[in-house]
Amino acid sequence: MTTAPATLRRDLGLASWQALYEQRAFWRNRARAFFAFLMPIMFLVIFASIFGKQTIATRHGLPYNDFFVPGILAYGIIATTFFNIAVSTAILRDQGVLKRMQGTPLPRWSYVAGRIASSAITTLMMTALVLVIARLGYGVHVRGATLAGFIVALVLGSACFTTLGIGIVRFIDNADAAPAVLNVAILPLTFISGVWFSTDNQPAWLRHVAEVFPVHALADGLQYAFNPHTTGAGINGGDVLTLAIWLFVGVVLMIRFLRQPLGER
Amino acid sequence: MNAIEVTDLSKRYDQLEAVREVSFEVAAGEVFCLLGPNGAGKTTITEILEGYRSRSAGEVTVLGLDPAAGARELRERVGIVLQSCGVQDGLTVGELLEMYGRYHRQRRSADELIELVELEAKRDTRAAQLSGGQRRRLDLALALVGDPDLVFLDEPTTGFDPQARRHAWATIRALCGLGKTIFLTTHFMDEAQTLADRVAVMRAGQIIALGAPDELGGRDARPVEIRFELPDGWTLDELPEVAARQRSAEGRRVLIRTDQAVRATAQITAWALDHDVELAQFSVSQPTLEDVYLELTGEREPGERKQTEAARS
Repeated sequence: MTTAPATLRRDLGLASWQALYEQRAFWRNRARAFFAFLMPIMFLVIFASIFGKQTIATRHGLPYNDFFVPGILAYGIIATTFFNIAVSTAILRDQGVLKRMQGTPLPRWSYVAGRIASSAITTLMMTALVLVIARLGYGVHVRGATLAGFIVALVLGSACFTTLGIGIVRFIDNADAAPAVLNVAILPLTFISGVWFSTDNQPAWLRHVAEVFPVHALADGLQYAFNPHTTGAGINGGDVLTLAIWLFVGVVLMIRFLRQPLGER
Repeated sequence: MNAIEVTDLSKRYDQLEAVREVSFEVAAGEVFCLLGPNGAGKTTITEILEGYRSRSAGEVTVLGLDPAAGARELRERVGIVLQSCGVQDGLTVGELLEMYGRYHRQRRSADELIELVELEAKRDTRAAQLSGGQRRRLDLALALVGDPDLVFLDEPTTGFDPQARRHAWATIRALCGLGKTIFLTTHFMDEAQTLADRVAVMRAGQIIALGAPDELGGRDARPVEIRFELPDGWTLDELPEVAARQRSAEGRRVLIRTDQAVRATAQITAWALDHDVELAQFSVSQPTLEDVYLELTGEREPGERKQTEAARS
């Protein structure tokens, strides 16, 4: 009989291996890799090049790129976590791969941890690439003083959108419908949440709607950390609270999805 | 100890009773087959045994454990080929066998399995590029990766061409040689006949016959069937008297069902020689498992045969 710590170590090892296999499968699917990884980069280059010379009057003449880089980074995080994990999980479910996995001795948590780790690796790579391009191409960067705020928003936002991505699969009837469902859930929010342009002038009611959702909290939290005028550690308490609440919702939805038996749907 | 024990198993879905008080056991090392038409409840039973579905009533043990408990120990010792089930498309055959192998404490090497299912040439091919038959062979290899004691095969050759099926049968027989217990479902009579030690025939959620393929439904005790074309210019009444349970003609096709096959054959052929006539399409045959099966499942009356059958075999 093996002891509990030995089993735990083994299952953690299995989760790590799973992350590597998931990474391999992810990069081999060119279309999905482009959608989740390269599209945010593409938007960064396009928007930053077109609007780079503008400033935002409502924010004391903040250069547009200091605002837009963290905005597109928020979009990128949503693409590599929420979109990517929800679409691929819906496909794996529809193809019966999840059912097959359930029949193996791999613990369900090891499998899920491996998939989450893989999506985290992709997110970190995308973030690093955005930061490098922003710095070298457009001179935008996070100051050391507000680095803590940047990391908090990045980690909390990624966790939040990963769990929501897994949790939302329960509401996606079939994988073909997944991109449509996800776009309906996210795209309108990105427009009212200041991902692409400043929403400081939009009506108060619309701003309040946006502030309920995690898209705004993530974009705003990152923009707060990127803003050269921010004082302190760059942690925006309101955004952190909103992300934490949505993380809780995401964890609950994720657990409900994972507990669902796959044999009888 | 029996590999599988099922007592009074029932499964209800809302209004439908998919399985009704089914009982059977499967001995260790046996090839056991559930045979029945689509919708008879084969897959429901199989998925209850595999731990995918809950049961409404009854007792079930698989390798001494309750599959509903979902113990990891059980999943270590059981291999599953589901009826239709995808696999991570982006990975190659070799990578998949390696990946699934890691999940098991005890495992068989990818090389050995690839050789067993004859996918040597496809080792570095991604699953997405495999043909249907190759995919099914990969399914089998993946089910065997943990060197299981018990293997579930749910309609393993559906969609195969005849050659691929014979191939798969040879592989499955090789598994029996390794001492595995095999639980098979199929709606192909010949598959059950070729592979199974014992067959349970299912109809509408119940087992209606259970036994060795040769004895099923009293097949060994059934009358032998003699068939031929009535020669031109002769009628049924002009044939010699033979001890027969049934003597009939459909058009010019004669069917005689008798318990004294040798005597009846000799009488009829002697008569043909005496009258110098040829009996076209003359045949003497034991009822096939298919005949018994179709009778049991109520799809055909005794002695009745489809016209296409001769052409098919």
